[in-house]
Amino acid sequence: MTERPPPGRTRGYALSEIPIVRRALRSRWPQFGLTAIMLAFFVLAIVAGLAGTPAGNRNFGIVFVWIVWWALLILLLVPFAGRMWCGVCPIPAPGEWLQRRALVQPRPGGKLYTLGLKWPRPLRNIWLQNAGFLGVALFSAVILTTPAATALVLLAFMIVAVGTSLAFERRTFCRYLCPVGGFIGLYSQVAPLELRVKDPAVCAGHKEKTCYTGSDDGYGCPWMVFPGSLTSNTYCGLCTECLRTCNRDNVAIFARRAGADLLQTSGRRLDEAYKGLIMLACAFIYSAVLLGPWGELKEAARAVGTPGWMAYTAAFLAINLVVVPGLFWIAVRAGRWLGGREGETSSSQIERLATQAPPAMAGATLPNFRVGAIASSLRAESGTVSAGRSEGIPPVEARGEIASSQTPLLATTVPSLGGALLATTAVNGSARVTARGTRPGRPAVRGMSASTSELFAGYAAVLVPLGLAAWVAFTLSFVLINFSYAWPALSDPLGWGWDLLGTASLPWTPYAPGLVPLLQVPVLLAGLASAIALALRTAGQHGQRPWGALPVAAFCTASTIGLLGLYLA
Amino acid sequence: MNTWHAGEPSDGGTAPEPDGRPERDAERLPGAGSRGRPRRRLDLAALVIVVVALTAAPVGVFGYRAAHLRAPAGARVVEIIARVPEQGGFGPDHITLQAGEAVRLRISSPDVVHGFSIPGLGVDIDEIYPGKVVEVDIRPERPGRFPFACTRWCSVDHWRMRGVIDVVGAPIQGGVTPDGVVATQRPPLYQRLGIDLDAMRHAAADVPSGRPSASAGARSAFALPLALSSADERRATTPADAFARLRADPSNSARTDGEIWDAVAWAWLKDLRPDELAAADERFARDCAACHGPDGNRDGPAGKNLPGLAKMDPSLPRGPADFTDAPQMLAASDALLEGKILRGGMGTGMPEFGSLYTEAELRSAVARIRLFTFDR
Repeated sequence: MTERPPPGRTRGYALSEIPIVRRALRSRWPQFGLTAIMLAFFVLAIVAGLAGTPAGNRNFGIVFVWIVWWALLILLLVPFAGRMWCGVCPIPAPGEWLQRRALVQPRPGGKLYTLGLKWPRPLRNIWLQNAGFLGVALFSAVILTTPAATALVLLAFMIVAVGTSLAFERRTFCRYLCPVGGFIGLYSQVAPLELRVKDPAVCAGHKEKTCYTGSDDGYGCPWMVFPGSLTSNTYCGLCTECLRTCNRDNVAIFARRAGADLLQTSGRRLDEAYKGLIMLACAFIYSAVLLGPWGELKEAARAVGTPGWMAYTAAFLAINLVVVPGLFWIAVRAGRWLGGREGETSSSQIERLATQAPPAMAGATLPNFRVGAIASSLRAESGTVSAGRSEGIPPVEARGEIASSQTPLLATTVPSLGGALLATTAVNGSARVTARGTRPGRPAVRGMSASTSELFAGYAAVLVPLGLAAWVAFTLSFVLINFSYAWPALSDPLGWGWDLLGTASLPWTPYAPGLVPLLQVPVLLAGLASAIALALRTAGQHGQRPWGALPVAAFCTASTIGLLGLYLA
Repeated sequence: MNTWHAGEPSDGGTAPEPDGRPERDAERLPGAGSRGRPRRRLDLAALVIVVVALTAAPVGVFGYRAAHLRAPAGARVVEIIARVPEQGGFGPDHITLQAGEAVRLRISSPDVVHGFSIPGLGVDIDEIYPGKVVEVDIRPERPGRFPFACTRWCSVDHWRMRGVIDVVGAPIQGGVTPDGVVATQRPPLYQRLGIDLDAMRHAAADVPSGRPSASAGARSAFALPLALSSADERRATTPADAFARLRADPSNSARTDGEIWDAVAWAWLKDLRPDELAAADERFARDCAACHGPDGNRDGPAGKNLPGLAKMDPSLPRGPADFTDAPQMLAASDALLEGKILRGGMGTGMPEFGSLYTEAELRSAVARIRLFTFDR
């Protein structure tokens, strides 16, 4: 059963209310069991990496981490279940068990083996995760093909995670350090799944906030997130502790429209923007180095310490930190120049756009509203927000899902070039900005004065579908081709000549290689369409004219063409 | 150690403001009041599961290996990792065994496809794929030194991928190993003849206008002198000298130069049996073609950057020898060519094969090379 959604919000179907799911989530054993299984595989990957054959295609550590697990993560878990992997990830598990002095049931007394230090405030962002990912990615040509390197990286992750758990509070490692968690969080915004509160008003009236502080039933949010203020999947690890600790039964996992988190493009952060850019740049570099025909490039990437590798490193860092962000910045800057209109107020822009939009299409996109009436309804939304803040609900909570509930991303994708969409994205954007940003003495539409960095972070939302599509396409290119390595690796995990399951001699067999481009093209095009739709939406939400999105759309298009060239050429 | 405590969230989610933050109190400590025997049992079960998860892989892997590595009849197992020479080649590259000892060799490759051959022990594994383990059982009955080598062109330095098995237990009898590998005290022919392998030679003055044909020479019913009819004698002379000798013989005055060259070709190829030729073809493709080219015209990819004779005389061209260069080949005796193959090129890039080829293989290798100058 699903609680009645609060005014101005809609929630999808509450999956966690299905009795069997509810029982599975509230009991700690299924999660513990899955984590233990993952831990056993994790240890096997480390043992295989350190003691097994150095031939990657015959080593369990390489085959199951970089082919099987990676494929599951990128093709299934992240796009469809968000951070579900984080809920059963074995890397932080030993540290968390040590920290809690408990494996399953919370320990009486709650003593923790941790210094309980707080993570330094300047580092409470994902910059370290960005740096960590860059570090791993820089050595990826070695790590992805050398079992010992993979094993050492996994071991290092676990050691750092344990150390962090013993020194810092909760899951500081997952939240601020894990290089993998950074991009999982970024792309989990696409997932049609979210953990949210059923009714924010209940949270507002709940003084104890047991979801955050913990209770007899469980621990306070290990991810240091207050569920009542969640507006994005990015930092919710789906550990489901809050489902256990909320004594008002006000937290649930909902099915929702895919990509709903992305519809809010204002108020985004630069560290997340850079994460999107790094991921896009790395998708290009990985595709060129690991899949491309340039043997010298591959050789340079592998030959750590040589002059060739130095040059590769310089190019790698330049592309990640300067070239791609620079091109994106230029696009944003150009968009600001194209899309900004000095002296235009929000209401006059809304009226102008409303009159420009073809009424029939606008009506089709927004069945419950007449476009001309939106401006007044927005004022009502602003009022709701103000009331919420006065009741003590955190301000971010007040960034209601107004836009997301009215114009889902996928709905905007299809008619992305239509006038109705342009108007819609602009109107909804204005609504959000107005609702969030109205303060005495400030212009109603911040887009007119939005800084380039605000626009940079806002437009970076387009990198989520674009980048995820790139990674899905990249993953497709090798998963179907190389998945058959899994059977010998299962039978002979260390490449020692065993044949435990009788599959050791199964030859390498590409599965449906002809299907790969047929999957890659639509995936990349869907990512591009979503990115362009988001760019238009971003322009609107930042008070820009629709063509302010054109440079970013061109950036996305060029990226997609480049990737198509890499995969199909 | 610290007690569980609430803290304000760092970002992403917004915590209640300080005035609205829940108090830290013992009543909300997780798990308080849930003691009991069932709980202890569950905790124990969880602990067992975690211990199993952490230890299953190492215990299972190494335990199974310990059991699996017991070769039949108590044979010793020797693991050999075959890496490209730039990464170390065979490891180990020197193995000492006792005569009569049963040994199981487990050879694996971490990088590219290698081959593995111990000519003296009759071991010839054509392919060792990366990550796969190939096992071969040997029992060298007699002492000796048995070189082994990679037989696949695994890298540009493939020829350096060698190793040695020393079988000890009794003194080596005589100068030749029981298996016939030329690896002992008996000097090879080029040494007995005093041929300086590194001396620069002049090209033959007389060369045939076409390709001499051994079958035509056989049909011509030439009465070859002993120096050409006896293989041992012939190996010491050059085709050019043989031609000159036959040309100078008055009994051949009616013969054309072409007929005499056909007779020379016949003299050089008459002892080459078809099965020897087939085996020599395989060895040539395996050991020679990568540098000298499949057609013998020194266009093999692995030979492009070799110094060749330019190492000794910079005026000479770089790269491997050209077997289609008739003036040069006709001025070289079999003993010289055998020596080149046996000893190697001393810096020219030509590997040594003396430790791998039997004497018969050396001779058939030279005969195979003659086929770039002569037709059968």
